[in-house]
Amino acid sequence: MNRIAALAQKEFTQIRRDHVLSRLIVGLPIIMTLLFGYAINFTLSGIRLSVYDGSQDRISQYLLQELQKENRFALTHTAQSPEQVTQAIQENRARVGLVIPAGALQTVRQDKAVQLEVYVDGSDPNFAFQAQAALRKVLGDVNSRLLAGKVLAGTATTPPLTPTLHTLYNPEGKTAWFTIPGIIGLIMTIFTVLLTALSIVRENESRTMESLISSPIKSYEVVLGKVLPYFVIATLVSLVVLSIGHWVFGVPVRGHLLLLVGLIVLFVLGSLGVGVLISTLARSQIQAVFGTFAYILPTIFLSGFVFPVEGMPLFFKWLSAIIPARYLIEGTRGVMLRGAGLETL
Amino acid sequence: MVSVEQVSRQFGKLAALDRVSLQVRSGEVFGLLGPNGSGKTTLIRVLTGVLLPSAGRALVAGLDVRRYPDRVKAAIGYATQEASVYRDLTVRENLEFRARLYLGARAVPHAVEETIRRFGLQDFAHQLAGALSGGWRQRLAIAQAVVHGPKVVFLDEPTTGLDPVSRRTIWDLIHQEAARGAAVVVTTHYMDEAERCHRLALLYGGKVIAQGTPHELEQQALQSARVVYCQTSLPLEQIRAMPGVLDGWPSGNGIRLILENNGPTPSLPLQTVYPNLEDVFIVLTRQPSPADNPASKGGPE
Repeated sequence: MNRIAALAQKEFTQIRRDHVLSRLIVGLPIIMTLLFGYAINFTLSGIRLSVYDGSQDRISQYLLQELQKENRFALTHTAQSPEQVTQAIQENRARVGLVIPAGALQTVRQDKAVQLEVYVDGSDPNFAFQAQAALRKVLGDVNSRLLAGKVLAGTATTPPLTPTLHTLYNPEGKTAWFTIPGIIGLIMTIFTVLLTALSIVRENESRTMESLISSPIKSYEVVLGKVLPYFVIATLVSLVVLSIGHWVFGVPVRGHLLLLVGLIVLFVLGSLGVGVLISTLARSQIQAVFGTFAYILPTIFLSGFVFPVEGMPLFFKWLSAIIPARYLIEGTRGVMLRGAGLETL
Repeated sequence: MVSVEQVSRQFGKLAALDRVSLQVRSGEVFGLLGPNGSGKTTLIRVLTGVLLPSAGRALVAGLDVRRYPDRVKAAIGYATQEASVYRDLTVRENLEFRARLYLGARAVPHAVEETIRRFGLQDFAHQLAGALSGGWRQRLAIAQAVVHGPKVVFLDEPTTGLDPVSRRTIWDLIHQEAARGAAVVVTTHYMDEAERCHRLALLYGGKVIAQGTPHELEQQALQSARVVYCQTSLPLEQIRAMPGVLDGWPSGNGIRLILENNGPTPSLPLQTVYPNLEDVFIVLTRQPSPADNPASKGGPE
């Protein structure tokens, strides 16, 4: 018992002496809890909406006004034809599309149902589900207001607006289709950031860095030489993950494969930079590991890997905008599921 | 080959090097001798281009380290403390890696093979450096510092932690490099080893307190003090406190004493002996400021 206590006390003292580590141990959980408690929210807001309004009458205007209340939906695209609505979703100018047929007001007056066509970007099933729920709620509100008026007038009771839902890109809501592109982003982040940071810190720890500095090698040559192997490894590994996703889980690659590889290469380059940055701050390998955690946790939560960016408060939407993995994940999902091209990314 | 003039290096308020001047010639093994914290490693780092001097001028291989750091780096070899080689690489891979940092691809294989032969590493060429014993790993550390045939070689504590047999071998290799024509700068805190250097500088508190051949340093020390052996049963503390006694410590059945030349002679049966470099070091470090705290004087920690 005495010996266990002695060893435990020694460990505590050593943790306390490592200023970087002790701060991370105390600070990381607090910051993470506060961050993600606020950031993760399934109530979406500002869902980007594309609308083709074939009626242009009181009913359609009332519906659009209700949709934009409380910033639930944001009208980011006005289509000139029903086809432009789905096109806008593919080009990532909107994530939900609504087609209102012509003559909505007359249809309601004749006590018939207005057939709305709703398109939802299904590349993120979480998002698709939440967006549908939000849309249904607004339609329900509008319906009951319209009905209330008609009941007073003594006419019949068919729900005036009936939506037909179309889930695009992942109609069956397969989770793997959504996670695999995200996992590529996550694995790449871990690989590149952690391995690069560790390899440089190890060189410092073993004092071989001093021999390198005293040799004719230039600083940029040291950085490039250290980073190159991890760049190659990370790119190859991501292709392996991609192949598994495609052949085992049947995730489609609807866009151009070269574009996908280009995206990954670009992302790997950025992450290697983060790894080098961590390595300059960390004095020991354990600090580098913790530093990488501090970087990866927000990446998981704020990149849209699990939780839709649309569900975050404004501040975290901004924060997520500086997380490189967000663009990789959006990009891979775009290329693989929506078949997006370079211009839409 | 190495010419240091009034070089200082500050770390904040601490003067790690204080107006150090010294000369090292080609084909010479030059020792930097001093306790830990005396500035040996800082001086080496300045001369290898790892650190910039705060003041003064340092020429290495005829080039100013401040103005031509890249050309200086190409002309030198440096083995850092603690035998820093890549433990997960084999002996040959370590040498190849270092050689490729300096030499063109064509010259590498010959340089590596030649170095393996010169350092007797043939049997270990395919072993991981981490699997070598301390002495052999140190041998590899020196080999990789000279694989490209540098004009000036810096070895930072190449024998620290080694057994006497390995230390002898390492010193043979050091002299072999000097015989090749290189200027070799070696740091050590083992006083007895310093006698193996052609010339040496005593560093203490960031200053060079003496410089010359081991014999010259001994003569310099004898000008102000003498070393005696004394057979006595008096307690050491009591003898150390006697006037005229600079220091003393047990030796065999008696006590070895350093006495000031111009001080009083204790009334003990004294027998004059020849000073070794440890005595020299104590005499020369005590001279400038006799009030120094003896606890900070010691040799290896």
